[in-house]
Amino acid sequence: MTATRLAAGLGILGTLTLGLATDHNNVDAGRPLRFDDASSIAFGERAIEWGVTGNLGRGRNNSAVGALEFKYGFAKNQDLGIAWHPQYAGANQRFSAGELEFTHFRQIQREINSSPALAYRMKIGVPMERGESGVELGMRGILSTTLRQYDKIHFNLDATLVTEPEPGERDLAWGLLVGYSNPLGAPTQFDKTLVAQFGFEQSRRAGEGWFSTVGVGLRQQVAEQAVFDFGLEADLWSGSSSRRRGVLLTLGYSMGF
Amino acid sequence: MTNLLSWVVLGAALLPGAALAQSGHDHRGHAQSRELPAPPPVFPTWMDDRGADHMFYKPGPYNWSIRNVPQFAADMYGTGVGHGIAYEALVTGQADKLEGPIYDSIVKVLKNPPRLPIDEGAILPTFKRRYGELEKVFDWAHTLHFQTIDVLAHRGWTDAQKEAEIERIWQFYSAQPYAITGLPLNMEVLDGYSYSGAFRTKYPKVNGLFWGYHWLQTANYDMLYRTPVETHGPQYQVVGERYRETELFNTEREFMPMTGELSPRFAKRFPEIANSFDNLHMLHDNVNDILATNELTEVQKKQQIRIAIWRVLATTHQGETAGEGEANSLHDHRYPFGMPGMGWMKGATESEMYMSGMGWMNMEECGHCSIRLPSGDEWGATVSANGWTMMVRCMLCARDMASETIGKAIIRAATEDPKQTLVLISDELGNWTSNLPEIVFLEVKADHPECNDWSKVFTSRRAFDAYIAENPDYKDAQPIALSEWQTRNEGTPETYRRINRPSPYQRNGEVGP
Repeated sequence: MTATRLAAGLGILGTLTLGLATDHNNVDAGRPLRFDDASSIAFGERAIEWGVTGNLGRGRNNSAVGALEFKYGFAKNQDLGIAWHPQYAGANQRFSAGELEFTHFRQIQREINSSPALAYRMKIGVPMERGESGVELGMRGILSTTLRQYDKIHFNLDATLVTEPEPGERDLAWGLLVGYSNPLGAPTQFDKTLVAQFGFEQSRRAGEGWFSTVGVGLRQQVAEQAVFDFGLEADLWSGSSSRRRGVLLTLGYSMGF
Repeated sequence: MTNLLSWVVLGAALLPGAALAQSGHDHRGHAQSRELPAPPPVFPTWMDDRGADHMFYKPGPYNWSIRNVPQFAADMYGTGVGHGIAYEALVTGQADKLEGPIYDSIVKVLKNPPRLPIDEGAILPTFKRRYGELEKVFDWAHTLHFQTIDVLAHRGWTDAQKEAEIERIWQFYSAQPYAITGLPLNMEVLDGYSYSGAFRTKYPKVNGLFWGYHWLQTANYDMLYRTPVETHGPQYQVVGERYRETELFNTEREFMPMTGELSPRFAKRFPEIANSFDNLHMLHDNVNDILATNELTEVQKKQQIRIAIWRVLATTHQGETAGEGEANSLHDHRYPFGMPGMGWMKGATESEMYMSGMGWMNMEECGHCSIRLPSGDEWGATVSANGWTMMVRCMLCARDMASETIGKAIIRAATEDPKQTLVLISDELGNWTSNLPEIVFLEVKADHPECNDWSKVFTSRRAFDAYIAENPDYKDAQPIALSEWQTRNEGTPETYRRINRPSPYQRNGEVGP
């Protein structure tokens, strides 16, 4: 799973699944932060999304992960996705075909009165580089609930299993993301949503501890079925001396059709 | 028509006295004993589904063609915001502010409407959590609204292609369990429950907004249907002005706007869609009244909203037929002669119905000369003015009817070419502009029963000459240019028959229009 190392180092794979985001208020992982809300795309909807995440201010060590995904709402409250994540490592100026990811999202329950919305997302990540083997399996449980009137909080509990871990790599890693979304501009121009995230995740390296991240971003509706997003994410603290990340910048665009 | 004939017989037996007795209404048209509707033995299972069940619209190149008329698109998007703010206020303990600051904030949005559609769920999150099943019905019906508009506003398709696609969209819509029936429903029955009228009584200004939205959502169809796309913008300057300046603030309307009333051509062509819109808008009224009434507990309100949903679902009326059903019941699917796209209205007979702002009308007759309307390719014309749209037989009727009103007007008329619809738009002074630059008119005044023969419009002098050659009775007629035609006025025809009946919505002691 060497090909996934860079992305994992950036902290955007393992919990990254590119959801459709054709409504600014429908928050999906990767666009621009890593948390999901508990809503699938619509039944019958098709969506394409692309974006890039890179770290800032690291000179030749700049790295980036791209994202291109197609999703389809194949049933009510369920969607399937296929995503490709090419990668670039600035340190050795090397491009990698990265990983191909297959996802299934299912909403179990919408918000009903005071009961939260519940959903899960499963994924299988397959390395695209020659010589790499094994797959990465991910499972995410999602709970979304309204805080006041418009804003919501989203809890994402992640378990990521690597079938063929490299030496020193943990085969099972856990993570918790707490997301916040608040649509802005009500009532005249309800066309953007502020998102923020706090993450508490286990290092992929065996023997290292947990680290936490914080992120903030904006999703801006730019057309009837298109959303532009950008976000920033940084480590808050890390229990790992080897984990050196700069500030991550994500830019993306999503469209449904 | 056979079904309708049976209703003539049945109607004669029931009306006026028998029907009034059955409906439990007194001579003033008010309920004597209105009860809470009882639930069905079983609600449809989907109403208890726990998923959001978001549905995507039918894919097509026409989607979002509403943008071709940007102000129309913005106003339509604004209607969603207006609905959402009011509903959210009703369920978040802000009902007492509805006619004050919340009304003001809605009007502010309507005057500065969003440039992009807004997810209603984001505006009314509390309402959606409480009445999720209702939102599914609303969302799906609103999708039908937008997709039919998009098809009609789409550039590059023929009218025939558009009509075929609208039929497919109706099938697409109807395939879901949230679909509202396309059968005409008895509007008096649906508006006759113990809670009916609560919203319009307590919140007349906000109710005026709701009915204003529904006016726009129904009046637009004849603006778009079989009219050239390049006329949609100019037409909307008139329609939108009427919407923003008058219809939104009209608190005098006795009943919600009906599709067949405001877009009669579209309603005749697509009666099921027209009926589903009216049934949707009646569901809105029912929900408003349930939420506004003081006589129900929260649990009862939830139950009554579920019943109101069930009443209008297509599945509730499965196997039933337009024109049939038990009179003055939920399954009363009668419609007025000539208008299958309209349910039975309060006080209606087979031939007459009451239109707010116009009084009693016969939907089969010309609104100007009261002669039976033509059908087929030579369908005559429609006149839109002062917020109403009427069908007329000929160009003279159209012009003279429009001239009776103050303000701008639109005439949409058949020409000798079924593929070319004339759209005439007048300013406040009665100066008409045409989408067809070479039109000429025939006007040889004779008896009105033949007015659609002697008063016509042609797309060109050549077409005029061809008609004269085929009709030697008019061999001495000269083609009339628009500039001359618009100065003429023959007044009210002798055949015009005013129906002098009081408004069925008139309260005791009040004077009807």
